[in-house]
Amino acid sequence: MQQRRVIDQVHTNRVLLNGQLATPKWWLPTVTLLGLFVVVGWVLIGFMLNKGLGVTGLNRPVFWGVMIVTFVFWVGISHAGIMISAILRLTQAEWRRPVTRTAELLTVCSLLTALLFPAMQDGRVWRDYWMMPMDWARGVWPNPRSPLIWDPFAIGTYLTGATLFLYVALLPDLGNLRDRTKGVMHVFYSVLALGWRGNPRQWKLQTVGGILLSALMLPIFVSVHSVVSWDFAVTPGVEGWHSTIFAPYFVIGAVHSGVSAVVTVMALMRWLWKWDDFIRPEHFDALARLLIVVATGWLGFTFLELIFAVYSQEGQEVALREMQIFTWPWNAWFIVFLLTGYFIPVGMWLFKSVRNNIALMFWTSILVNVGMWLERYFIVVGGLSRKTPLVNSWATYRPSAYEWAIMAWSFAWVSFLLLLFARFFPLVPLFEQKESQTFSAEIKIGRARVPAVLREQE
Amino acid sequence: MTTQPETFGKHRWGMTIDVDRCTGCQACVIACQAENNVPLNTEQQYERGRAIAWIRVERYWEGEFPNVKARFIPILCQHCENAPCEPVCPVYATYHNAEGLNVQVYNRCVGTKYCANGCPYIVRFFNWWEPVWPETLRNQLNPDVTVRSRGIMEKCSFCQQRIRRGVRQAARESRELRDGDIQTACQQACPTEAIVFGDIANPETRVSKMRKDDRAYRMLESLNTDPAIVYLAAVDPDKAATGEAAHG
Amino acid sequence: MAGSAVSAGAVAFVACKLPEHELVIESPVEMPEDLVRGEDAWYATSWGDATGGDGLIVRVMQGRAKKIAGNPDFPVNLGKQSSRYDTALQSLYHPDRIQQPLARRSKGGVASKLSWPEAERRFLDVIEQSDGKIVIVTNPLRGHLGLVATQFAGLFNGRHLAFDPVEQGVLHTAVKKLFGADRLPDMDIANAHTVLSFGADWLSTWVSPVGMSVKYGKFRGQKGHGYLVHVESRMSMTAAAADRWLAVKPGWEGKVALAIGKIIVDGNMVPAANSAAYRAHLPAGALDRVTVNGVAGEANSGISEARLREVAVKFAKSTPAVAFGGGSAGAHTNGTFNLTAIFALNYLSGAVGSKGGLIFNPGSPVVGVPDSARGASFEEWERELAQWRAGNVKTVIIRGANIVHGFPKSVDVAGALAKVPNVIVFASVLDDTAAQADLVLPEKTFLETWGSDIPEPAPGYQALGIQQPVVGSALSVDGTELLTDSRGFGDMLLWASGGGLGAADMRELVRKASDSLYDLNSATDSVSAPSKDLFWTGVLQRGGWWDTKSGVAQSGSATSAVIGTNPDGALSAPPHGEGEVFTLVPFVSNAWLDGRLAAAPWAQATPDPVSSAVWGTWAEVSKHDAEEMGIKEGDILLIRSTVGEIEALAYPHPGVRPGTICVPTGQGHEHNGRYAEKRGSNVFAALVDQKDSETGALAWAATRVRVQRKGVTTKFTKFEGNVEAYPIEPGVPILVVSPGQSAHEAQEENHEHVKREISERAER
Ligand SMILES: Nc1nc2c(c(=O)[nH]1)N[C@H]1C(S)=C(S)[C@@H](COP(=O)(O)OP(=O)(O)OC[C@H]3O[C@@H](n4cnc5c(=O)[nH]c(N)nc54)[C@H](O)[C@@H]3O)O[C@H]1N2
Ligand code: SF4
Ligand code: SF4
Ligand code: SF4
Ligand code: SF4
Repeated sequence: MQQRRVIDQVHTNRVLLNGQLATPKWWLPTVTLLGLFVVVGWVLIGFMLNKGLGVTGLNRPVFWGVMIVTFVFWVGISHAGIMISAILRLTQAEWRRPVTRTAELLTVCSLLTALLFPAMQDGRVWRDYWMMPMDWARGVWPNPRSPLIWDPFAIGTYLTGATLFLYVALLPDLGNLRDRTKGVMHVFYSVLALGWRGNPRQWKLQTVGGILLSALMLPIFVSVHSVVSWDFAVTPGVEGWHSTIFAPYFVIGAVHSGVSAVVTVMALMRWLWKWDDFIRPEHFDALARLLIVVATGWLGFTFLELIFAVYSQEGQEVALREMQIFTWPWNAWFIVFLLTGYFIPVGMWLFKSVRNNIALMFWTSILVNVGMWLERYFIVVGGLSRKTPLVNSWATYRPSAYEWAIMAWSFAWVSFLLLLFARFFPLVPLFEQKESQTFSAEIKIGRARVPAVLREQE
Repeated sequence: MTTQPETFGKHRWGMTIDVDRCTGCQACVIACQAENNVPLNTEQQYERGRAIAWIRVERYWEGEFPNVKARFIPILCQHCENAPCEPVCPVYATYHNAEGLNVQVYNRCVGTKYCANGCPYIVRFFNWWEPVWPETLRNQLNPDVTVRSRGIMEKCSFCQQRIRRGVRQAARESRELRDGDIQTACQQACPTEAIVFGDIANPETRVSKMRKDDRAYRMLESLNTDPAIVYLAAVDPDKAATGEAAHG
Repeated sequence: MAGSAVSAGAVAFVACKLPEHELVIESPVEMPEDLVRGEDAWYATSWGDATGGDGLIVRVMQGRAKKIAGNPDFPVNLGKQSSRYDTALQSLYHPDRIQQPLARRSKGGVASKLSWPEAERRFLDVIEQSDGKIVIVTNPLRGHLGLVATQFAGLFNGRHLAFDPVEQGVLHTAVKKLFGADRLPDMDIANAHTVLSFGADWLSTWVSPVGMSVKYGKFRGQKGHGYLVHVESRMSMTAAAADRWLAVKPGWEGKVALAIGKIIVDGNMVPAANSAAYRAHLPAGALDRVTVNGVAGEANSGISEARLREVAVKFAKSTPAVAFGGGSAGAHTNGTFNLTAIFALNYLSGAVGSKGGLIFNPGSPVVGVPDSARGASFEEWERELAQWRAGNVKTVIIRGANIVHGFPKSVDVAGALAKVPNVIVFASVLDDTAAQADLVLPEKTFLETWGSDIPEPAPGYQALGIQQPVVGSALSVDGTELLTDSRGFGDMLLWASGGGLGAADMRELVRKASDSLYDLNSATDSVSAPSKDLFWTGVLQRGGWWDTKSGVAQSGSATSAVIGTNPDGALSAPPHGEGEVFTLVPFVSNAWLDGRLAAAPWAQATPDPVSSAVWGTWAEVSKHDAEEMGIKEGDILLIRSTVGEIEALAYPHPGVRPGTICVPTGQGHEHNGRYAEKRGSNVFAALVDQKDSETGALAWAATRVRVQRKGVTTKFTKFEGNVEAYPIEPGVPILVVSPGQSAHEAQEENHEHVKREISERAER
């Protein structure tokens, strides 16, 4: 049994609200720097809209490139929130408590980012609203058969649900903040807190709301990346995309990358806000074990894809895999992809010492997402580069500096949103911490039982 | 209100291409560019893999020197009855009309490029930049055909403007449309008569008869796209002698 | 209540099933039918400069030429066209058309703009002062423009010389010697069962490519598909279309023909009379001195004996069988020997003057109008340029001939021009020759001027194509100003002759020709009319005049001792320096020919049929050589002969004979408008000035070069993707059947093949 550290409520409040009630020294310079990147990124996007998609490296037949890759990537990241929050909430996994909000927040921010990518890479972005069912005057409706119509609906529903989820869970803390602030911020939190008083009826509603939303969100979570996968899978024209395993393959890959992203953010939180008491090595250990299972499942799908090619012996399928695995520079990136996406991180996670080492977990979780981005690149660009058996038209693509910059922008943009949020709202739910303390002195993480970090003082 | 002639839906347009006759001369390619206001393919467009050619001639090698062969096949939109480009378009900018054409509605297209990914024949072309013509060269633009702006998809229309002219001319002269009244620009150009276009709803037309030729096949048949274009196989007197020609 | 039910029903109906025209936004290509888009007119005309005698129709709307197509009535091309027709529109509307006359005060001085009256005065002055020392230089011209050029030169006691950078003079000589014909015969490919062609890329650029492609279509359409054997050192379009391509070593074409002939004669495969006629038309003893062994094999022609025998059997047994050659086959030091040996084969197969063989044509229907055109031989040109250098020529008037660009570098044309006091160049876009001129006169294109063309070869009877202005003048887009203030070359010469040539302008001349055709009073199936005026209208409407009953000419008598100086076709060893082991095979570009059309952006953007290369100069090297030398696609190659060096982008492919390197003509202009200048390199510059021993024609396919990598690689601009395109499974996308086999059977066969291959691989 570990030595339990008892932290009084005042201390909890002070530590967990250290981002809101006082601004950490690093916050402003970091956010300013990120803000600068964000502005540059938006300017680049604006320039692209103004000049045309010629600024990209896209061509025929590679009509989709880094922007769609990054879209899939961010949708994948967004799977973290629901995976952690909803499933763990429904299964009443106690250790989830400190990490739920970060996960949900990551969902919302990455979805907000993801949605921008397919939109901005349209030729006439200013007409994108035609994809909404709103063209009453001319009677021209969007095409319900197109996955590009399902995308905004699936992602939009997910975003709405995730935002509500985040908000409902934030209410008690908003009340807390309202009570601790003055002036403008007081008004701000008052409005957001929706009159939260913490009476039993409110607590009951909040809890029931959370559980209901969890249950509602689960099918959406499965559907979102399935729908995204169908963007690819419905096209018989692209041999490398037209695959029946795409939906589960994409979902499990998304969980792999999303949960890894949560690990990355958790490590950052622990360092930045010094929340060593709340975000514990045990959490990393638990997530790493989960990831080993998910990643191995995902790897199975990856090899299944290759096996399809070997088994079917279809010309262009074989050619696609041959290009990806054996030709320069795809072969180099293929090795990087396998190492970063699976073998290095999972290999390391097999050791408990790694799982409990925050720095190692941080870096390995980043590796996973490098690998997962590459995986999407292999699917999207690889598939298009070896489309159908019209060998004479086979070509690949080299992303332009623009596309790289816009992809980099998205990372700055998500970080920017996260930090902005963290400035005004607590990243670790205070009430959850206290609640857990009330429920049990020990919490279960995987098969391990560990002491709860905080005991509510009666 | 309706802008369609009364015969709309009566015809079904189709084409046959005799691969055995194609010499790769590119006459069809340039005729189509001129007829359909296809923007000039600059050196940079080619370098970036962005040249636009509603009809192109693909060249395939067979065998090794000295018994090497180069074969040509013209590829344009197949006007698939079961077109993979159509269901994926979120805004119905590409759809099938009652005459069997895969129609591209430029002013409706938002430029997702999804249809181009969906098309197995790689015959869809995107306007990455606003096309520019030197002022004087604009004199040559065909007034019957829209000049496309940037950000939209374009592709072979089966020379729809010629179809319209032909149909209306027949209506004006109060007569039935005759086989051969309507020629696509590529067909008109092709010196070896590899390309034949016409109404496949009428079994008496030349194109209908050619579709029943022994050598008729369709490109990428396994995808079940049901193209309106039927190819006639290349004939190789040496095929029997050398075995499977594709593997040299 | 009822009302709301009805409206609810209506809403439901509308929501469930909208009529299609409401569901779909009107495409602008489907314009509302009540919108009248002006009526178009298709004017018939012809284009003597580039089409091989075809008839054209030009679509004109609102005074603008919009589209060019083949004239469906015209007997040569029957409505068909090449990729080059539409590019002509861009010559008309080229943004760099010369707008007004330019003059230089001194040689090499600055050119300044001139008004037309000033230019006209200067033109007249110069001609008057020339004192008989005047030379007119044009491209090879048939029809009325040819007539005017020759007569004008005659009027002023000067000479008219034609320039053709890829000379066909050898061809005319061989035909004349063998058949006694002044004009090229019509090769009746459509009715032949076997076609044996050498060197000439007749489906692409040679002689009358569209007409021959039309015939090729019919040849393929006949029962049994036809059998085409093409002998050429390059994988050209024709080689690609052939059932059997024989990748001959450059210069061996004649010997290959002779060996085939010998196999046939020795095997008694044809009637004895044929063999005798054949023998009679070869140099004495030539057939006896040739051995199949001495021709076949890698050490000699590069073609195996088995192949030679196979082709011989085809040619002898599967008749009608026609043989012809030209292009690179005649462009060697033994060029005349080659072409004679090739054409003589027709005596063997009995194809001279018969269906499916060579058809000889009657000549010009209008007295004096040239019906055949060829460039002066290289030897003649060398003599001519010597006169210029010696100061014996005062005035040179050039039109349609880019001599500064088209001669080998060893011939210092610019230097010769510098010695001529008055160089006058007609041009619509300033080219390398115009840039050397003392007076540049903006010339109207064929779409703005009158003229005529007499197809060669004719379709088997007399024919004349009319050229008429289809647009008044090229206008700016808003129609407010002229793009250029230009004059027709013919009109200008007629005007300058002051009536000395019997007409004030080209229109009058052509009209006179129409009247003379009317006077022939033959019941033609092209135009028949009750009066000269109506006849003239008819000729203009149909695009010319032809008379299917004018009859086939008999071939004349041959000048039997066919070859004088080189009866065995010996190749003289080409001069070459160290490492110059490659043979440079220039070829005429399918898109821009010898450079005539290079200024048009569409020509630049037309993919080469085989490599799909565009916008530059590339060099086709064999995959084998490339591997050996470490050459990759896009590598800049330095191609050096003893006289010059050019750069070209490497395009390795499986269809090149190792040891040869093939480069398109017509690029590398210093001046040629914004699209062509300083683009690619000029292969003519690297040619060594060897000549055909018989005619003195330039042996343009006989230069030896050294090939080296420059060490710089750039992106190869082409249309195909970046994978060497072999089919990845049989039958996709091109299904190949054997004669008589159905598509279905072939697919089954391919399927079986794939299955077998997979199981074989699985077993391994
Ligand atoms: N019965 C009756 N007669 C009238 C009148 C009336 O009120 N009643 N009003 C009179 C008056 S005031 C007028 S102004 C005249 C108008 O008479 P018109 O000038 O005949 O006018 P519209 O019929 O409106 O248009 C003529 C054609 O131009 C086409 N068009 C449209 N845009 C373009 C274009 O950009 N280029 C080309 N080439 N064609 C185009 C249209 O499709 C239409 O077919 O009618 C006079 N006659
Ligand atoms: S060929 Fe391509 S663009 Fe044309 S209808 Fe078929 S899928 Fe659509
Ligand atoms: S590019 Fe245009 S036509 Fe194609 S799917 Fe997108 S909106 Fe539809
Ligand atoms: S049918 Fe018309 S639009 Fe289509 S490729 Fe031919 S010329 Fe072009
Ligand atoms: S015009 Fe005819 S022969 Fe020429 S490339 Fe096109 S299809 Fe082939």
